[in-house]
Amino acid sequence: MIRYVIMIISVLLFYMEPIFGLFSPIELNGHFYVLVPRFLIIYLIFIAIYYDRKRAMLYGLIFGLLYDVFFIDIIGLYSFIFPLMCLVASFIVRFIHHHLLVATVLTLLLVAAVEIILFLFYTSIGIKSLTFANFYQFNLIPTMIANGVFVLMFGWLFKYILLNRFNQKLLLLQK
Amino acid sequence: MPQFFSNKRLVLLLVGMIFLVALISFSLRDRNHASLPEQLIKDVVGFGQTMFSKPTQYVTGIFNNVESLLNTYDENKRLKARLEDYATLQASVNDLQLENEELREIVDKEENIRDFNPIQSTVIARNPDQWEEKIIVDKGEIHGVAVNMAVMTSQGLIGKVILTTPYTSTVELLSTQNPNYRVSAVIADEQEVFGLIEGYDIERKELVLKRIDSEFEVKKGQKVTTSGLGGIFPKGILIGEVTEVTTDDYGLTQLAYVKPAASFSILDHVIISKRTINPVDGIDGGNTEADLTEGAGEES
Repeated sequence: MIRYVIMIISVLLFYMEPIFGLFSPIELNGHFYVLVPRFLIIYLIFIAIYYDRKRAMLYGLIFGLLYDVFFIDIIGLYSFIFPLMCLVASFIVRFIHHHLLVATVLTLLLVAAVEIILFLFYTSIGIKSLTFANFYQFNLIPTMIANGVFVLMFGWLFKYILLNRFNQKLLLLQK
Repeated sequence: MPQFFSNKRLVLLLVGMIFLVALISFSLRDRNHASLPEQLIKDVVGFGQTMFSKPTQYVTGIFNNVESLLNTYDENKRLKARLEDYATLQASVNDLQLENEELREIVDKEENIRDFNPIQSTVIARNPDQWEEKIIVDKGEIHGVAVNMAVMTSQGLIGKVILTTPYTSTVELLSTQNPNYRVSAVIADEQEVFGLIEGYDIERKELVLKRIDSEFEVKKGQKVTTSGLGGIFPKGILIGEVTEVTTDDYGLTQLAYVKPAASFSILDHVIISKRTINPVDGIDGGNTEADLTEGAGEES
C-alpha cells in the first residue's frame, strides 16, 4: 500500500486542481483576480527534491500529457514544462540546503516561472492579449498567494511522506 | 556547469525541443477536432473527474443552502413586493401564449426556431490554468451534444460547445478573446434590431455587440437575446443588457456594450440547448452554410 501512496497523492492532486479552478476568478472591488491551482507541479517538485528526480520527471511527463489532452488541446505544453521544472529543481537543490523552508521558496519561485512561461506562450500564439502589468497584478500575485498557502499547509506532509518512502527504499537496498 | 550540459544531454534536449515545437504546431492547427486517442483520454479522465466533482458540488451545495437560508427574511420581503406584478404578468403571458398557438394552428406552421430540447449537464472541471475560458461538462455525443450548440444557465447564455467526445464536451465561454467567436443577436424592444456579438472587452467585463444598423435607435438598458438567425442557436436566450452605445471604428454601424446576464465565475449546472428545427452552419458556427441536420449531407 505504502508503495503506491506517492502515485495516489499525485492522482488526487491532479483531480483536485480543476475543482479548485471552479472557484476562480474571484471578484474583489470590481476587479477579477485569477487564482490558478498548481498543486500537482508543487508536489512533483517536492518529489524531485526529496525523493527521486527520474520518478518526478516521469510523473511530470504523464500528468502533463493528460493535462494537455484533457484541458487545453495543445499537446506538448505541460508535458514539457512539468519535467523541465522537476529537472531544474533537482539541479538547484544539489547546491543548497534541504531545509523545508528553502524547498518552499524554491517551489514557489518555480511555480512563478511556470506562470511566466505560460504567459509568454499564450501571448505569442495570440490566444490572450494581456499586458505584463495586468498579468502581474491580477494573475501572478493572487496565484502565488493561493499556492503559497497550499505549500505552507501541506509542504511538511509531502516532505514527511516522501522522506519516509525514501528511507524505506534505502533500507530495502541495504538488505 | 559541466554536469548539467554534457554532450549527450545537449543533443537530447535539442531533439526534444524540435519534437516539442512540431507537436505544438501540429495540435494548434486542428484544435476543434479530437482524434481517437485524444477522445479516449478525455473520456477516461472525464470519468475520474466526475467522481471527484460530484461530491464537492454536494458539499458546496450545502454551504449555498445555509447561506440562502440566512438571507431568507430579506429575500422574502422583496419577493412579496414583486409577487403582485408577477401574477398579472403571468396572466398576460399565458394569454399571449395561447393566442400564439391558436394563430400558429390557423396558418399551419408548427416548427419554431424558439423551440429547443434542453440537455441538463453538470460542469465537471474548469480549465485550471484559466488562460482560455473553457469549462468541461459531463454530457457528450451519446447524449446528443454537437459542436456549436448554445450553452446557458437559468440566468442567460454563457457560451457554446467547441469540442465533443462520446461522454464529455468542452464549452468555450462568451468571455473568450477568440476572434472567430460570433453569436447572432437581436435587441427586441418595439422593433427588432440585429447585430453580432463579437468579442469581449476585458477592461469593462462586457460583451461587444457589433454591426448594428445605424438607422435604428438603441438605448441603454435594452435586453439583448439570441436571434436564432445564426443557424444553430435557438431564438430568445437572454444574453444581457445594453450599457453603452457608440459608433464603430469606421463610423458606418453602431456598436453597443452588453453587460452579460449570466455570471461566468462560479458555474455548476448548465443547460445545452439542442434546437428542434434544422440547424444550419451559419454565423453561430463555422460559417459554411451547410445543413447540419443528421443525414442531410448523405444525399449531396
